[in-house]
Amino acid sequence: MPALIAIRGLRKAYVMGDETVHALAGVDLDFQKGEFVAILGPSGSGKSTLMHILGFMDTPTEGSIVFDGQEVAKLDPDLRAWYRSNRVGFVFQSFNLLPRLTVLENVALPLLYRENSDPVANAAAAKVALERVGMSHRLDHRPSQLSGGERQRVAIARAIVGSPSIIFADEPTGNLDVKNVDRILDLLGSLIKEGITVVLVTHDLSVAERSHRVISMRAGLVQEDRTR
Amino acid sequence: MKLFDRLRPAVVNGLRELQANKVRSLLSMSGIILGVASLVAMVTVVQGMVGNFRQFVDAMGGIEKITVTREQLPKEQEHLSELSEGVTMRDVDRIRKTVPLVENISPEARVGYERLIIDGRETSSYVTGVTADYLPVAKRWIDPGFGRFVSDLDVLNMNDVIVLGSAVVPELFGANVDPVGKVIKIRGRRFTVIGVLNNIEGSGMQIRSANSRSSGGAWRWRNSGAFIPVSTAQAKFIGNDRLSGLGLRIGDAERLHDAVDQTERTMLAGHKGLRDFAISTNEQTLEDFRKTEAAFKLSLGGVAGISLFVGGIGIMNVMLASINERIREIGVRKAVGARGSDLFLQFLAEAAVISVVGGIIGLVVSMGIVALMNYILMQALPTGAVATLDWVIMSQGLAFSVVVGLVAGVYPALRAANLDPIEALRHE
Repeated sequence: MPALIAIRGLRKAYVMGDETVHALAGVDLDFQKGEFVAILGPSGSGKSTLMHILGFMDTPTEGSIVFDGQEVAKLDPDLRAWYRSNRVGFVFQSFNLLPRLTVLENVALPLLYRENSDPVANAAAAKVALERVGMSHRLDHRPSQLSGGERQRVAIARAIVGSPSIIFADEPTGNLDVKNVDRILDLLGSLIKEGITVVLVTHDLSVAERSHRVISMRAGLVQEDRTR
Repeated sequence: MKLFDRLRPAVVNGLRELQANKVRSLLSMSGIILGVASLVAMVTVVQGMVGNFRQFVDAMGGIEKITVTREQLPKEQEHLSELSEGVTMRDVDRIRKTVPLVENISPEARVGYERLIIDGRETSSYVTGVTADYLPVAKRWIDPGFGRFVSDLDVLNMNDVIVLGSAVVPELFGANVDPVGKVIKIRGRRFTVIGVLNNIEGSGMQIRSANSRSSGGAWRWRNSGAFIPVSTAQAKFIGNDRLSGLGLRIGDAERLHDAVDQTERTMLAGHKGLRDFAISTNEQTLEDFRKTEAAFKLSLGGVAGISLFVGGIGIMNVMLASINERIREIGVRKAVGARGSDLFLQFLAEAAVISVVGGIIGLVVSMGIVALMNYILMQALPTGAVATLDWVIMSQGLAFSVVVGLVAGVYPALRAANLDPIEALRHE
């Protein structure tokens, strides 16, 4: 079966003042459908850059990315936005829910930017997603009225509402207590049963150990790729 | 996605932001409020003035009227006063023959205020001797069904007939009485009423007289006259063949100056060089008024323009501040799939919402200003000009505010649209 994502020779360089920083220095990786992967590494290792490029928020300087059989390394901004809205979900460390929107509206947000977006259908889909994460009792609350664990569950609902192929979770447990860490990681891990590829980006080994495959990065290169 | 589908959530979002930042939004709106209020109030009041004046000039016979009046001889001709025969029907004939630009000539012989009596009721009215040409020159008519005006035959036969102004009828006959055919007495002489003139009212722009707010208002003087054949007036009241003046109506207002020149030459020739007449037009009055109107429009328009400009800057400022506060939000929206154009639209709609709400408040304020102006004008002027707001002006004012909001919103919206999502998400 072809990989969901196949990246070859991926490089990303930034110019900072007089210096050129090589955030990614030639990365080759494959991600399979329904895989639970952790990308582990200290800050500056290139894991966030990799996530941003794979999440269609950034473009590489060099290299190829084949996503679902399509070459996507150099897309224009509107096409990247389409992929973010239709193929990718994000879960952030600081939840990044919009404070003025209700839980339901926050979850429906990705659908708002789709073509033929319909408010009624969006709300229905958002309710299903919130049920999936066990938050359907808080539809009309504001994010500020929720606990950290609850917020992250809402954020996960937002990530899955558009039925993405892949979810990137960037330190999703960084702001949570131990009890909620387990719950969130279990929730993320359970998504692979629905055929979603889950990529955890973390510098915490104990979090990375919960996945089925750990990719260790250092200085813009893959140091170790270990499947358990 | 249809534009409307993209616009609706953007507008809802804009209203939400407005509600969340009430004080800040209100402050940023103040320029728009002031701008729209002054713009709408200014246009309304100036339009009111224009309407008022147009009616006034029209009541004076309009721009196409030339008035010839009897005048004292100038000092250097005083010794020839014996030769002056004044303005007479002979002038009417001469002008008719030699000044083809003139379409109607209305000779007028003022009799003066006379008591009109019928069956013990009486009223006084200004009686003038006229011919059939009075109607086109004065831009008057007989209301259909209310008889006829003085005819050439009436003039020829010196008939004792009279046409009444609409304000005279109820005073003399009571309400709802058709006076045509009734006989009234003036100085003991019996006159048959043959018609009633149309009632002149201020239209659109109401014009009122401070001391006669009811019954006809400032137009009362125009509605209260009485008209008899000019020959009857001369023979039976005045006792000579002199006229008080002539009203001339020319067909083509563009050729007013030619008509004035020709009339003057004809009159001078007919009067053997004696300047015992004066010729005047409404042109100068109209010209003066146009200058005043332009000055008003320029100065008040300037105030409105500056306010709207400042209002635009205010909106741009608050939008930039708002975007700075919501960089993370922009990042999140982009991360979940918003395109640059989606964010552009969102922030442009927010700016438009602020300006529309400001514009609506401005319209409410303008109603207050117009009411205040009306109050002041009513106190200050004997014939106060009462201006009324109309929907066209109000919607134009609102449209102005929308345009200002959109223009002011473009730069902030572009900034939001062009933010890098990764940078935006990192923003603290």
